[in-house]
Amino acid sequence: MISENDWRTSAVPSMAAPEDFSSLLQRKGLYNQLGPHVASAGNPAAPIETIATTILAFKYNGGVLVAGDRRATAGNLVVYDRADKVLEIDAFSLMAIAGVPATAWEMARVLEHSFQFYRRTQLQEMSLEGKVRALSKLLRDNLGFVLQGVGVVVPLFATYDAQARISRLYFYDAMGAQFEAADYAASGSGSGAVRSILYYENHFGSRPLRKRTEQQAVTLALRMLDTAAETDTATGGMDRHGVVFPIVKLITEAGITTLEDKQLAKLLKKHVR
Amino acid sequence: MIEEPYRWMEAIANRREYIEHQLAGGSPIAALTYADGILLFTLGRERQKVFEIYDRIAMGGLGHPGDIERLRMAAIELTSTEGFTRSAQDVSLRRLAAYSMSPALKAAFEQVYGAPYLARLLFAELGRGSGPNLFLRLDYDGSIHTNGGVFGRAFEEFGVISGSANATQQMETFLQEKVNPKGTLSEALQTAMEAWTIGHWTQSEGDREERPSTEVIAAHREEQTAAVAIEAAVLERSARLPATWRALREEEVRATLVGR
Repeated sequence: MISENDWRTSAVPSMAAPEDFSSLLQRKGLYNQLGPHVASAGNPAAPIETIATTILAFKYNGGVLVAGDRRATAGNLVVYDRADKVLEIDAFSLMAIAGVPATAWEMARVLEHSFQFYRRTQLQEMSLEGKVRALSKLLRDNLGFVLQGVGVVVPLFATYDAQARISRLYFYDAMGAQFEAADYAASGSGSGAVRSILYYENHFGSRPLRKRTEQQAVTLALRMLDTAAETDTATGGMDRHGVVFPIVKLITEAGITTLEDKQLAKLLKKHVR
Repeated sequence: MIEEPYRWMEAIANRREYIEHQLAGGSPIAALTYADGILLFTLGRERQKVFEIYDRIAMGGLGHPGDIERLRMAAIELTSTEGFTRSAQDVSLRRLAAYSMSPALKAAFEQVYGAPYLARLLFAELGRGSGPNLFLRLDYDGSIHTNGGVFGRAFEEFGVISGSANATQQMETFLQEKVNPKGTLSEALQTAMEAWTIGHWTQSEGDREERPSTEVIAAHREEQTAAVAIEAAVLERSARLPATWRALREEEVRATLVGR
């Protein structure tokens, strides 16, 4: 793997900028994506598929909460009811995914490795802006699959900004445009309902989202997922047998905490059902 | 080409002598087991000398910075792509060293018209579960020395590299007596500091064969720690994330070493 030709055949050793992890994978042929030209051939108007899921994130008094339901669907079939759509990328970053699981999980994997690869090779942590852009680039590179209508991913990205000492929240479109959310963001087929509730609660609720305590925030997240499941078939509600709970994670100054099923069960019993 | 076997062997011997001479001034590096994982320790003037390679693998190097850098990058690339395409569980120091790095180092060393790698590397891998830690020395000619565990040899809970064979020997003898795999981090720091001092004194005092006296060690240690930066990092078994590497802050280390 240490190629002897690298340095001896070229008269002037290359002094290119450090390679990022996804280019390394592409150079080694380990992460091949469809180019747009391949994708559009013979498929001029691919339907934009619906992105079946509900993920949501909002800032509360202490950090940012990210939550998602557990259902994975294919057309009108439920294929899995224990999907984990809120993924830990590093000690302070979460990515929540809506869209095609195969592409989304692979993206999360690339992203996780990219940040670590950068830290290990460059001996410094990637900047927050760099991390946000890295996801954007992965989405743009995925355009081929998007055009074919088979690999749409619309993620949320939440992280803690250690320099500014505030939490930050970003959402993306399928082509990689990134937007920073002031207070909240939601994605997936159930997000319409959720966004309405978030808007309402933030403006007309008992207090703005940012002033809510952790427990109030978690309760609101559970209620919103329940509401989304009421009208959206692709969003999994609370399991009838009470065994599978939504994923709720918090990012604070101290890092990421995942809410235990026991805590969720208690809050569900008291405030939701 | 050098056609005659004798000329080739002579060229290799010259090259070995040249590299050993280049490495002779390198600051020793000690790695050892403590209760919560592995400590890597050295003193240095200019640049970082111990590095994170993957979730459970760390590396220390002495030699030419450019060569250490190329080997470090190769190690990170190999482990990262393996971890990505298969899983982090499949990344192993044994395979990295034996199948990828050693052959490349040997080839560069023996092709007498090309430049060899001026580097001596120390790798440490944190064992999984209750498994033993692996320490591995990889030299410029591709030769590998591990801390045992095969052919009935008991595991040693440490690994060292230094600028000379005598210094390495002295450090190993010392660590054999002193390493306590159940000890605290601050005990491990003390032990590593002493091992480093013995190694550094041995190679800088004309490569002596006898162990320095306690007073000599204390004096040398005081002199060196006053002038040079201390660098230490740990691979922690108790880490919450899969990545176990944590660099220790120098003030933290100094406070531990002085506050004895």
